[in-house]
Amino acid sequence: MARESKRADTLLIVEDDARLRAIVADALRGDGRRIVEAATGADALAAAERERPQLVILDLGLPDLDGAEVCRRLRTWTSAPILVLTARANEAEKVALLEAGADDYVTKPFGTPELRARVQAQLRRARTAPLPGSEGPVTVAHLVVDTARRTVTRGGEAVHLTPTEWKLLRALLANAGRPVTHAQLFRDVWGDIAGDAQQYLRVYVGHLRRKLESDAYRPQLIVTEPGVGYRLAVEPVSASDAGP
Amino acid sequence: MPGPDRRRVRAWVLSLAALAAATAAMLAARPHLEKAHIALIYLLIVLVGSGAGGRTLGLTLAGLAFVAFDWLFLPPYGTLILTNPLDWLVLLAFLATSIVAAQLLTRAEGRAEEARRRTAEVRDLAALGAETLNAGRGEDALAAIADVIRTTLRVERCAIYAGHGADMRLAARAPALGAAAAVPANSLLMWVAEHGAPALELLDGTSRVGAEAGGESAWPDTRDARVLALPLRVRDRTVGVLHIEDQRGIALAAGGREFLSALGYYAALGVDRLRLTAEAERAAAFREADRLKSALLAAVSHDLRTPLTTIKGLAHAIAEHGAPRHDPRASAIEEETDRLARVVGDLLELSKLTSGALRFQLELNTADDLLGAAMQRVAGIAGGREIRIAVEPDGALLTGRFDLVHAVRALGNLVENAIKYAPATTTIELTARQDGPMLVLAVADRGPGIPAAERERIFDPFYRPPNFPPDVGGTGLGLTIARGLAEAQGGSVTYRPRPGGGSIFELKLLAGERPPE
Repeated sequence: MARESKRADTLLIVEDDARLRAIVADALRGDGRRIVEAATGADALAAAERERPQLVILDLGLPDLDGAEVCRRLRTWTSAPILVLTARANEAEKVALLEAGADDYVTKPFGTPELRARVQAQLRRARTAPLPGSEGPVTVAHLVVDTARRTVTRGGEAVHLTPTEWKLLRALLANAGRPVTHAQLFRDVWGDIAGDAQQYLRVYVGHLRRKLESDAYRPQLIVTEPGVGYRLAVEPVSASDAGP
Repeated sequence: MPGPDRRRVRAWVLSLAALAAATAAMLAARPHLEKAHIALIYLLIVLVGSGAGGRTLGLTLAGLAFVAFDWLFLPPYGTLILTNPLDWLVLLAFLATSIVAAQLLTRAEGRAEEARRRTAEVRDLAALGAETLNAGRGEDALAAIADVIRTTLRVERCAIYAGHGADMRLAARAPALGAAAAVPANSLLMWVAEHGAPALELLDGTSRVGAEAGGESAWPDTRDARVLALPLRVRDRTVGVLHIEDQRGIALAAGGREFLSALGYYAALGVDRLRLTAEAERAAAFREADRLKSALLAAVSHDLRTPLTTIKGLAHAIAEHGAPRHDPRASAIEEETDRLARVVGDLLELSKLTSGALRFQLELNTADDLLGAAMQRVAGIAGGREIRIAVEPDGALLTGRFDLVHAVRALGNLVENAIKYAPATTTIELTARQDGPMLVLAVADRGPGIPAAERERIFDPFYRPPNFPPDVGGTGLGLTIARGLAEAQGGSVTYRPRPGGGSIFELKLLAGERPPE
């Protein structure tokens, strides 16, 4: 990828605990990255406007502003990925954050390698947007998905998907690498029509996995995020880049 | 307004005076009067008299008029003897007419009086009902009711007790006597509350109790009683006791019984209102405690996890900086931090579970999601262990109605347990099937199994099997939490020995309805 190395990334780290902030900053330094730190929500919003970061790491226990509120305000003008650090293993809160515009979350206590991996994934994802799917076929693990022709091939063989399964796959693909809430998947697949179908979302995911995964009980592609939704765990690569 | 006695005396005096005056006037005009005139005038006086003074006055006037008529106006004058036999007819007809008229008038008057009394009662009851409903506090309403009962029945004291048995306490009394709280109920009141029937304390100090269930026939005669205790009932439930006391004896006027029943019903409603208010206050207190509990747990969770993250990060940084000579002590810190984090996590989970702070969202979920997420959860500690997953029938899409987050945690704990206690070379088998209304997830291992005596104790918090190395990891809370999480959503976790050696732990959850194809 030629365009990746041209520009150094700016990362904004928002965390009120000074020690932890320093550790996170140290862990993410490197590759010529510029690290900007903020201790409060107000500082964070000001720093974000000033520094235009490529990624924001946001702790939820801020003294002044609610984390979801910071997400919402950032989302009014920037599409930079927001990675949330949360101490509560509370799924309802995670859902609220994702709906407010966060891209991913890491639960404390987390390890440095895990944090780095999540940050890398978000930066890559932000750079490859808009999705290659809109241009041509993409390779996702052992699958080739052609959005324009509405075809999926698995190991060279065509896979038949029902219209609902197809919409579901497309919705997951559009958010590859980030958790998608049940509500958002439902909106993407069924539109705004609420009804019985919503509770069968999980069943449709089961059908889709049986067609796409090699082991439906140990999914590598469509991973369950308990209490939140699903995540397409593999990043799509443009089929032409991947080679024939 | 004059009292009823004074009015009665006046009626007597005036009627007798009118009779005398009329007799004197008619005597003066005797030569010009016909017998019919005299009979009519006397009849008029009898009617007016019985209307104003009642039956006795009417009959007295009739008697006197009869004698005066015979003596003064029927010849021969001055004697009771009659010369003309037809005069007997006149005289007897006059007497009969007077008596009948007096009787009819009195009866009508009585009915009117009864109607007036009823009207007054209804008015009192309506006013009392409005007062009961409008009073700001339940205690005020009860005090108003006690006061109305006391003044209406003209008794010395009226008290209302609420509750049962040892919990029974004075709720209101008239006349009010300062602090009323500490007055305990005596055994008579407790008997009334327990049996739902009225009871009396007689003037001679003995007690008499009514038949159970308080039917009409059980209503006691109260004249020689100084205490009347009535059960207060709402919807066939005794909620308290009404206590009426008068050292002179309790005299209930006609209809007083019905009036007392109606008042007693208001009192019962008032007592019930006190109970409901107390319950509502308790519920509000519980909600507030619940909110505080959740807030506290969230704060504790945050305050423990943030420093753990810092320690873990620092240890990792030290290990990295030490490269290429890796310092094993730094890795040990990181590992211990992870262990501490698990302990903190388990303790928080258990305290949330036991304090009812966990919320369960029962939704249609697939066994796929549960199995997959549980495997993800144990991935970190599974190492190279072989875990075989099977669904019966093969490849079926099983569903259940459960909270995925908590179910994943429960199943994860069972799998983690198998990983910890079964030898590393053995296979762990994870099976999902539907068994009637339950979705069953079985975790089978080839570990040492559990001796029969220990099989229920393994679910106790902090229990560890004897003869096991203490550094096997974990907190001793895994099975306790798994069972708690399952039971809280209508499921269960059970143990049974595995044929051929080893253990089978079964997590049962509510099965789901058939999914669409």
